[in-house]
Amino acid sequence: MELIPLFMFAAVFAALLLGYPAAATLAGVALAFALGGAVFGVFDLSDLGFLPGRLFGIATNQTLLAVPLFIFMGVMLEKTQIAERLLDSLTGLMGGARGGLAIAVILVGMLMAASTGIVGATVVTLGLIALPTMLSAGYDSRVATGTIAATGTLGQIIPPSIVLVLLGDVLSNAYQQAQLQQGIFAPQTVSVGDLFAGALIPGLLLVAFYIGLILLIAWRKPERLEGRAVRTREKPSLSELALGLTPPLVLIVAVLGAILGGYSTPTEAAGVGAVGALLLALANGKLNVRALRETSQETLKTTAMVFFILIGASIFSLVFRAYGGDELVRSTFDAMPGGEIGALLIVMLVLFLLGFILDFIEITFVVVPIVGPVLLAMGFDPVWLGIMIAVNLQTSFLTPPFGFSLFYLRGVTPASVDTRDIYRGVTPFIGLQLLMLLLLAAFPALATWLPYVLKG
Amino acid sequence: MKRIAEAIDLFQDRLGQSLSWLTAAMVAATLIVVVLRYGFGVGAIALQESVIYMNSLVFLAGIAWTFKEDRHVRVDIFYSRMSTRSKNLIDLAGHLALLLPMCVVVFVWSFDWMLASWRIRESSPEVGGIPAIYLLKTLILVMPSLLVLQIISESIKLVMALRNSDEPK
Repeated sequence: MELIPLFMFAAVFAALLLGYPAAATLAGVALAFALGGAVFGVFDLSDLGFLPGRLFGIATNQTLLAVPLFIFMGVMLEKTQIAERLLDSLTGLMGGARGGLAIAVILVGMLMAASTGIVGATVVTLGLIALPTMLSAGYDSRVATGTIAATGTLGQIIPPSIVLVLLGDVLSNAYQQAQLQQGIFAPQTVSVGDLFAGALIPGLLLVAFYIGLILLIAWRKPERLEGRAVRTREKPSLSELALGLTPPLVLIVAVLGAILGGYSTPTEAAGVGAVGALLLALANGKLNVRALRETSQETLKTTAMVFFILIGASIFSLVFRAYGGDELVRSTFDAMPGGEIGALLIVMLVLFLLGFILDFIEITFVVVPIVGPVLLAMGFDPVWLGIMIAVNLQTSFLTPPFGFSLFYLRGVTPASVDTRDIYRGVTPFIGLQLLMLLLLAAFPALATWLPYVLKG
Repeated sequence: MKRIAEAIDLFQDRLGQSLSWLTAAMVAATLIVVVLRYGFGVGAIALQESVIYMNSLVFLAGIAWTFKEDRHVRVDIFYSRMSTRSKNLIDLAGHLALLLPMCVVVFVWSFDWMLASWRIRESSPEVGGIPAIYLLKTLILVMPSLLVLQIISESIKLVMALRNSDEPK
């Protein structure tokens, strides 16, 4: 009887692997357990009475309103080829130096990551526009694919990213819950802005690590980088470069600054960012009815997809809780050897493995609400925990053979590039990710310092 | 039967395409809210709430169209390597055994809750907010209704595809 939540988890996991849309699988399996349990008298159907309130809560959640607006901004930037122009001008600047092209890709990926925050989108776009250039410039296919796959995953950690918005919302609920259970009735809060601030230093450090790796290759194994200088077009003048680079930079700095400085909510900043993306498209002569229609439709589908997972996951957790799943998780953690550190290690390992199968959104909505309150009640800092989870999942998405980033990249890589080369190419980047995780574990201030300074 | 599926798909297309313009309207409304608040110190609560209404309409009604467009996330490590026939079987089973029960439960368990809100013409908890919470709550029931419609269309298409693949070559 107490083990029903465990069976539920196993059943939903098995069902997810069949490949039916995840949101409906989560909800359908959970409801099958609820209705089945009612037949055998172990589930009280009146617990489902919370259902409409939960769904209404999702619909009226202020924080989550940032999601469609950020999606709109990202899709707009993608559809109007702003990233291409960016890469073009940066390549012009650095294409002459050995490794310059790879560094340009990392920097563009960082900017795109900050603006779209969708892993698949960044990997696919970079793969389509940068990979052919890199290969034809004589880059070793391992270096080229590794750089692109790793850079694509930066989207999760570099704010303003959509997954950090979702994670922030879930963590703030988990944090409240953890404190209430400890009898703290004036709980402290953690916001999406805190998470953005916490992610900034680790994100930029990762970018620095990546660039460092390229410089190291340029120094030790120069033959793996371009054999000939890249000349996609004439070297741009400084003013051309400024014109190409400044607007997207201003957009990102403005959006981030407004949130981190506490001037506006993520939702407001996302709305302004979306308008900024529209203006950028206008300035580039790419804004027309067709672009607007495509962007709107793409935004609707992506938004519906995200919110449907949220609905499915909240139905799942409703039934999971009603069966005492929370208690089960807590007592399991309490019985675990190694105390808090042991619990944290297990959670991180499980999340890493789940990252092979589920994507960030599903893990955030299904797993974090279950393990989050337990870990936070043990005294872990919510911002630090959030960043650890984000970097951990980012690593998972890079790890062969199941990493999402690799699947997306394989989809847009010419058949002449062997899959094993992609795997070998990402290996050093995985090493850097693990280094980042270790650094975060050893120096939590990397994540927690900035949010607390900003909060004052 | 094929006609029914086509009619439903056309309806969902039109609906999804029309509603998608609301995402652009949400961007515009948010900008106006920001300008009013930071530029003129005016809080536009009704406008702010309208963004919530638009977003709810967008995703609650858009979920069904997103099914038609096959854009819901799948765990596809095995699915992507299956034959079309297996994929069709899984989709058909999923529609009927997972999605349909979910729609029924959400509809049935939310119905009285929605009616209660209509009875008192529930208004916004905020002063100056939109006095139509009951409409927002009705949207929660629009989601399963549109989904059932799409389940009908998808099932017709899947059964037809499966029948065709049954026939000897």
